Amino acid sequence: MAATGATPDRQMEELQADAAASAEQRRQRRFIISSLFRTPTFLVGLAVVVFWITMALFSTHVTQSPTTPSGAILSAPDGSHWFGTDDLGRDVFARTMAGARTVLIIAPLATVLALLWGAIVGLVAGFYRGLTDDIIMRIVDAFLALPIIITSILIISLLGRSYAILILVIGALFTPVVSRTIRSAVIGEREREYVMAARLRGERSAFVMAREILPNITQPIIVEGTVRLGYAVFTAATLSFLGFGLEPPSPDWGLVIATERGVLQSSPWVVLFPALALASLVVAVNLMADGLTSVFSK
Amino acid sequence: MSVVEPQGGSQAQVGTVEPAAALDVRDLEVTFHRRGRDLPVLKGVTLRIEPGEAYGLVGESGCGKTTLAMAALRYLAGNGTVDAGKVLVEGRDVSTLSKEALRKWRGEAVAMVYQDPAAALSPAMRIGDQVAEVFRYHEGLPKAEALKRAREGLRRVALPDPDATMRRYPFELSGGQQQRVVIAMALAVNPHLLVLDEPTTGLDATVEAEILDLIEELRGRIHASILLITHNLGLVARLCERVGVLYAGRLVEEGPAREIFTDPRHPYTMGLLRCVPKFGMNKTDAALQTIPGTLPALGEPLEGCVYSARCPMAKPVCTRREPDLYGWPGDGGPTGRAEAEAMPADPAAYSPHHASPVGESARHARCYFSAEVAEMPHMTPVLATSLEARGATAGDVLQIGDLSRTFKDGRKKLTAVSDVSLNLRRGETFGLVGESGSGKTTLAKCVTGLIAPDSGTVTFEGNQLRATAGRRSQDALRAIQMVFQNPDSTLNPAWSTRAILTRAVRKLGSGGSVRAKVDKLSADVRVEPRFLAQKPTDLSGGQKQRIAIARAFAGDPTLVVCDEPASALDVSVQASILNLLVELQTNEQVSYVFISHDLAVVRYISDRIGVMYLAELIEVGSAEEVFNPPHHPYTEALLSSIPKLQFEDEQQRIPLRGTMPSLSEPPSGCRFHTRCHRFLGDICVEQEPPLQEPAHGHTYKCHIPPQELLAAQATTEAVTPTGG
Repeated sequence: MAATGATPDRQMEELQADAAASAEQRRQRRFIISSLFRTPTFLVGLAVVVFWITMALFSTHVTQSPTTPSGAILSAPDGSHWFGTDDLGRDVFARTMAGARTVLIIAPLATVLALLWGAIVGLVAGFYRGLTDDIIMRIVDAFLALPIIITSILIISLLGRSYAILILVIGALFTPVVSRTIRSAVIGEREREYVMAARLRGERSAFVMAREILPNITQPIIVEGTVRLGYAVFTAATLSFLGFGLEPPSPDWGLVIATERGVLQSSPWVVLFPALALASLVVAVNLMADGLTSVFSK
Repeated sequence: MSVVEPQGGSQAQVGTVEPAAALDVRDLEVTFHRRGRDLPVLKGVTLRIEPGEAYGLVGESGCGKTTLAMAALRYLAGNGTVDAGKVLVEGRDVSTLSKEALRKWRGEAVAMVYQDPAAALSPAMRIGDQVAEVFRYHEGLPKAEALKRAREGLRRVALPDPDATMRRYPFELSGGQQQRVVIAMALAVNPHLLVLDEPTTGLDATVEAEILDLIEELRGRIHASILLITHNLGLVARLCERVGVLYAGRLVEEGPAREIFTDPRHPYTMGLLRCVPKFGMNKTDAALQTIPGTLPALGEPLEGCVYSARCPMAKPVCTRREPDLYGWPGDGGPTGRAEAEAMPADPAAYSPHHASPVGESARHARCYFSAEVAEMPHMTPVLATSLEARGATAGDVLQIGDLSRTFKDGRKKLTAVSDVSLNLRRGETFGLVGESGSGKTTLAKCVTGLIAPDSGTVTFEGNQLRATAGRRSQDALRAIQMVFQNPDSTLNPAWSTRAILTRAVRKLGSGGSVRAKVDKLSADVRVEPRFLAQKPTDLSGGQKQRIAIARAFAGDPTLVVCDEPASALDVSVQASILNLLVELQTNEQVSYVFISHDLAVVRYISDRIGVMYLAELIEVGSAEEVFNPPHHPYTEALLSSIPKLQFEDEQQRIPLRGTMPSLSEPPSGCRFHTRCHRFLGDICVEQEPPLQEPAHGHTYKCHIPPQELLAAQATTEAVTPTGG
């Protein structure tokens, strides 16, 4: 409440204020984080995702080998094989835990790629509008009309399969949806007066997009990224299931479900546990997305 | 005039029998919970509205006005809680109503009109169905009957052609018509209490005047009590018998409107009144009075009187204990002051004090020094800046020649600016007025290069400028800058204030130390250095606008286009922003194009004024000339529509007939003929009016020559009967 007036030591005062400002920002960030940790949906989702990440990283150190037989063929769950064994006598628990690894490599990287490309396309379309926007969005519409699974199968058949190609294909196919979300966020921002002020300052378009607009649309980007991650897990598993992912003896969930489905009737545990694992991861990521949305909109 | 029956300071009186007030708020405390913090908004407010009375609640934004209304109707947002006190409406405690009773009560006894009529109407429903729904829902009428009642309701609020309006959707109506529909819906239930929350804030002065006429006229017929919430003191002066002044969640003054506005007894009320530019005042006469400082942030602890930190009369005793709402005239103030001074220096005993008024007077003020308010010291030094002193005669800095711009809306063509020519001298302020949609902002954006004109030229210091900012040289950009309207979007929320100014100096500045220039700019606009480290969200509206002004001045511009730079701000902040612009002009020799719908503001700051109507510039002249007869009939109507604070001269309003015609099909002949009160006949419909020149440099577009117009306008202004 100090009266306005000349201050002898501007620098000092500013340093103090700097501390105050960053304290305020810290307080805001702390608030968002603490609200997230008080949102049950987010917490449950996070716990499951963290569990699977831990398993993907470390499970092979504690479980039996996921790739070499360790018991009788198709034995039901018991004390030594919690989830039973499969048709080659491999431990299903070990395979289910290790199966998280491939999905958790492909899905996040594909999502990051989709966000990156989507951000570029969305920023350009939303910022320039007019003819540029019309052309880009018609192309985006055309891509949106492609069935994702069939197109991926087509491309993978052409280029062969590998982690890199799976990531690139899923990333590319998710780009149109992401770019739509980002474009609409950009359109909301670009009419704001600070963008006009930047134009009157003679800023280049790339600067306005990257430095002025982008920092103000991070929240929709984070939410979109989380939602996309759920779909990416699902898509990666589906491609594996259809035989366009990794090759045996990988313990990848989709692959296991596909190759072992012949014994579904007689020994359901072989397929059931990987299927549950996959479902739990997809649901968990979506729960996190819901939590983020509700906290950001507060 | 109603008699105020104060609740008295003691709780013992609560049980006594009194005529039930339309609204009786007692010791109301409301707290909001946001992002993990508790923010007290109302800190004990007591007020009472008698049946049939109109009560105005004024104060800066953030004082808690709307919160009070929302709490009164139990519409508080989910993160707001009533911590203490109660609200009685016609004797019933609102907080005890069951869900069903609440719904029924809201439908039958109270009604609320919000600021934004477009948001209050469903965009997907026809007007007739929406209004009829009120009758079907609350009175259970069959559809046909409800529609009939809806038609009556629309007729009551003077909507032209109710049958046609019934079939329309909200987007097909103008803002003023939408607000009429909302009022019709509010009145449909025959409310006993009508709450108007900034009912005309988003509307043009002419439309505002119409809505005010309507409310005034309806008051005679509906017998509802009115709670009017507004920051516009002129509105309260016109509509209300009593007024309450709210500051930082406390009522600081209350009493009959006329007395409060002519003889305020609280320094805050006095400050508010002094901030409003007196009509006809110019910047060369005096600087505007301001209220120093800002409203305390929510949750900030206050010692003693809530206003003491900003009060020019504050004494040590003011922070010892908060004053009561003492009766005026009376010796409550001095007595309370003596008590406070005699108190031991024990911080726990200081405040808060009583919410309720003390004593039986008709008016109250929460101040120990009410007797001295009339002699409150003036805060701003007088500024004298004549045109000559600013060197405004040194020739034209900007010339606009035959500039036009048309927008496409589907297959329709909307001409926003049509053949506008004007010139601007160095150091001069050119004010641009007109209703929204008249093309002011489009013209301004053509000058800065944010919009490219279809035809016509913008010549700056003798050189024709490229159409868009992207094609202009960095020198041209530096020379012409803009200050925008909306303080909340003018600064990038992701950048610190220092980063914003640094970038502007880097791109526009002319060498030298960037840091030194940023410090000088912030000092020039009086933003304390500690705010430079903050993000815009941590600044007040006034501070944001100051930074925006500093940004525009980063490259020492020659011309700054100000598009409603102070319209979104409270009067006290508005005054300080206008003073700042005047001061910068005096020091930096800058020219302004100043857009505003507030005519008193334009009159204050402008040397010359241009009036726009339907994309055309219909009158240009010195501020003095444009504001006095002979002037264009449209200007005359605009001027008559402003609600003024003065009570002495009851002004006659010239109602503008109908609504503004569409820009896609402007009327033939004179564009104003469809609404003109000085309509001559066929000549106005058939022929485009000539440019009349009553004085050198003063021109207007009308068929009536200056002599006749002067005679006609002089008579109306002299023989004006009272009332409208």
